[in-house]
Amino acid sequence: MTSAAIKLDQVTKTFDGRVMAVDAVTLDIAAGEFFSLLGPSGCGKTTSLRMIAGFEHPDSGRVHVGGRDITDLPVHRRDMGMVFQSYALFPHRTVAENVAFGLRMREVPKPEIERRVAAALAQVALTGFETRKPGQLSGGQQQRVALARALVVEPPVLLCDEPLGALDRKLRQQMQFELKELQKRLGVTLVFVTHDQEEALAMSDRIAVMNGGKVEQVGTPTEIYERPRTRFVADFIGEINILDGGGPLRALRPEKIRLVAPDGARLAGMVETANYLGGSTLLRVRPTTGSSMLVRETHAGERASRMPGDAVGLTWNDSDAVALES
Amino acid sequence: MSAAPNRRPFDVGRAAYLTLNALLLAFLLLPIAIVLVFALNPTPYISFPPVGVSLRWFEKFFGSAEFMNALWLSLWVASVVLVLSIVIGAACALALARGNLPGRAVMTAFFMSPLMVPAILTGLALFQAYLLSGIGRPVWGLIAAHTLVAVPYVIRTTLAVLHNFDRRIEEAAAVLGASPTRVFFEVTLPLIRPGVFAGGVFAFIVSFDQFPVSLFLVVPKGETLPVVLFNYMKFDLDGAIAAASMVSILLALSVVLVLERLIGLKAYVKL
Amino acid sequence: MISRRKALRTGAGLAAIAAVGAPSILHAQTKTLKITTWGGKWGEVMKATVLPAFEKEFKCTVSADQAFPFLPKLQVSSKNDPIYDVLHTNSNEQWNAVVEGLVMAKITAKEVPNIADVYPYAVSDKIVGVTIFTSAIGLGFRTDKGLTKPTSWKDLADPKLAGARGGYLIPVNSLGQAHLMMLGKVYGKGLTDLDAAYKALEALKPIKLVDFTGQMEKMLLSAEVSMGVIHDSGVYRYEGANMQPVDFASPSEGVLALEQVLNVTPGSKVKELAFAYIDYMLRPDVQKLLAEAVWYSPANKKVKLEAKYDAKLLTTPEKVATLIQPDWKWYNARREDIDARVTKILKG
Repeated sequence: MTSAAIKLDQVTKTFDGRVMAVDAVTLDIAAGEFFSLLGPSGCGKTTSLRMIAGFEHPDSGRVHVGGRDITDLPVHRRDMGMVFQSYALFPHRTVAENVAFGLRMREVPKPEIERRVAAALAQVALTGFETRKPGQLSGGQQQRVALARALVVEPPVLLCDEPLGALDRKLRQQMQFELKELQKRLGVTLVFVTHDQEEALAMSDRIAVMNGGKVEQVGTPTEIYERPRTRFVADFIGEINILDGGGPLRALRPEKIRLVAPDGARLAGMVETANYLGGSTLLRVRPTTGSSMLVRETHAGERASRMPGDAVGLTWNDSDAVALES
Repeated sequence: MSAAPNRRPFDVGRAAYLTLNALLLAFLLLPIAIVLVFALNPTPYISFPPVGVSLRWFEKFFGSAEFMNALWLSLWVASVVLVLSIVIGAACALALARGNLPGRAVMTAFFMSPLMVPAILTGLALFQAYLLSGIGRPVWGLIAAHTLVAVPYVIRTTLAVLHNFDRRIEEAAAVLGASPTRVFFEVTLPLIRPGVFAGGVFAFIVSFDQFPVSLFLVVPKGETLPVVLFNYMKFDLDGAIAAASMVSILLALSVVLVLERLIGLKAYVKL
Repeated sequence: MISRRKALRTGAGLAAIAAVGAPSILHAQTKTLKITTWGGKWGEVMKATVLPAFEKEFKCTVSADQAFPFLPKLQVSSKNDPIYDVLHTNSNEQWNAVVEGLVMAKITAKEVPNIADVYPYAVSDKIVGVTIFTSAIGLGFRTDKGLTKPTSWKDLADPKLAGARGGYLIPVNSLGQAHLMMLGKVYGKGLTDLDAAYKALEALKPIKLVDFTGQMEKMLLSAEVSMGVIHDSGVYRYEGANMQPVDFASPSEGVLALEQVLNVTPGSKVKELAFAYIDYMLRPDVQKLLAEAVWYSPANKKVKLEAKYDAKLLTTPEKVATLIQPDWKWYNARREDIDARVTKILKG
């Protein structure tokens, strides 16, 4: 399967001439990359995706796919695959007809359609469901039909708009693995829109964190997590302590903090609450001065070493406190 | 040993609900029953208890060239109105729901306005307009008038379907390579069809039973069934009227049943 | 002898001329007369016999509108090009029409020669246009309910008939309107004595009211009422077809006239034809045919009906003298007040 690089060049989109949905966004997505657009609702991630798909036309800026400017190309000529949160299956058609739709539009000969539909359904483990209607399938099955329908045309680019958002947690995790595995196997360029940071971190090659129509940071999951560039990124991804010691603000992950004896520690305080999370416990510590700190204690034993009310000392390495752009 | 089943306590609310339903049903069906008795009654007036059963009024109805001409004209007009109003109504509904038009509320009200003006005035106004513009009263003028009052029904039912329509389904088709035209015929039309046809059933019945609008617009020898029945009633009030009513009811019912079979109102409910 | 080829050529030439000239020639020769007429049995006879014969004799086509309401349609159409040439209605509607200039005020024997042979009531001062037939409004009654044949309009007020007497919704039915005027005459100083009429109407309650005469006929046939105001034709027309014991009585105070009136619209483009049609409708043979079909009394004095019709219809000067013609001009001028008043009386 071929894949294509995607480039957004200074793309801007406003709605009703007032609301700035996407503000001069520039992104370079490599061919074959699993790329996530992450951010809260209204950050412009879905609008960006819809401009790649062609549902929205940018007010200014260009969209390139595979080195070709497709900004003015209508949706149906862009040759992409897309999976929607609501799956958007054709309710009046069978599973096989749904999957065959894109091939039919491409005027693929009938025997080949049948062969490829069967292969696509096998790929998502839905062989035997050909004659069912979407209404007769579970959410997870519908999701897989939507995936098969998008991938059967072998698009160079697959766009996913919160595709797992409607699934329950267990199924969602399973689908995360399956989707990631499938993407790597097919080598397709995948643009994945999500507001779920864990999902983005788990699946992506790279992530663009968006806020207020702008890209805050682009990087690998590790870079985004370990080296957040702005306060927004630091806050949005995982738990964070923001240190204000004069100069630039610094971000410190709770697991970078070590619990020590109060004497000689950087900060001394008292455990307020301890939230048991299974493999770790998240403690809220109120220092004698300043605002409370989150501390993650990973423990091999049954429970954390500190209980609410215990006096503790906190310490960390300076290099773990990341300076943020203001 | 199995436990004794729980006895359901007597539920006053449920009993009242069932009684109310039974009364409503009786209220709706009783007039039809009376018409049927009158239609099968051998005497030219209703006699209770009925003195016998006879098909003479049906024979008179089906044997009368005047009634038959009127029946065929009404069926023909209603069929054309059905086709015209689903095409126009569906197009209007799509434009109203999708068109991003300025003053959409005003336009919706405008398209619905034939339902708010008393039909007799619509008929009189069109009659006057036709005469003044020298059109006269051709049958297409009658069809246009019926279509005018039938289209709002199609708009209403189609808008209802469009209101719950997930546009992502159309987008999915477009991404898969369907041009706007193909999206419309492959996805949009099949999905709004139940709403359009439900409106079409109304349109057919509105036209077939139309009296006030037709009153002024029919021409001598080109009168629709309701107009012929009304005039017949002024001179001969006998069972032929009841027989004609039964035939009308059965025809309307069969149109509904045939369309239900063809497209399935179930699909409509599911959407 | 003309050669075959020449004949063909000539024929073709004539055909070509005919094809070119035909539409205008047809248009010039075949006039259309637009009339209104009744439905029911009357309409059947008109369409089957009377109108085809007229079309043949006068080389025209007749477009006969049987669909009410005639007057509103005429009002809406242009006065210079009216939708009807001849208007057939009952007398009171002609009075409404003449006020608006929709029909001619007077038609004489000059335009319609057969008017010379009609009874005076047909062109009296109570008539706009020409009466071609009349019915007599009297009392219909069941003969199986132990009632003696009514001799007076007052017999309808017999207490025994409470709830078993029939009348009309006065605002919508001209028989009801005529009856109201008759109550003024019978119980008061004359046809225009409304106060006496209202009082008498009040005394007729409880009374079953209908809007069509057809409904009154059915109520008598099904014995839903034992006596009701009705025109003679509404009882006699069931003769033979109906075994129900219903008869018609002409009260001694006189019967009310229910005239069938023809009139011509002033803007008609085919006035000659319109007058010819009225003249035709007054011909003794046409009058006889229609009179015997629907039990209407012919307006032409010279008509000789079969014995059984002659016995019951108004076919002699003596019988015609019992007809009382309401003054519709007077009535129509007060119509709204009367409607309001009687609605109040009959509602309570």
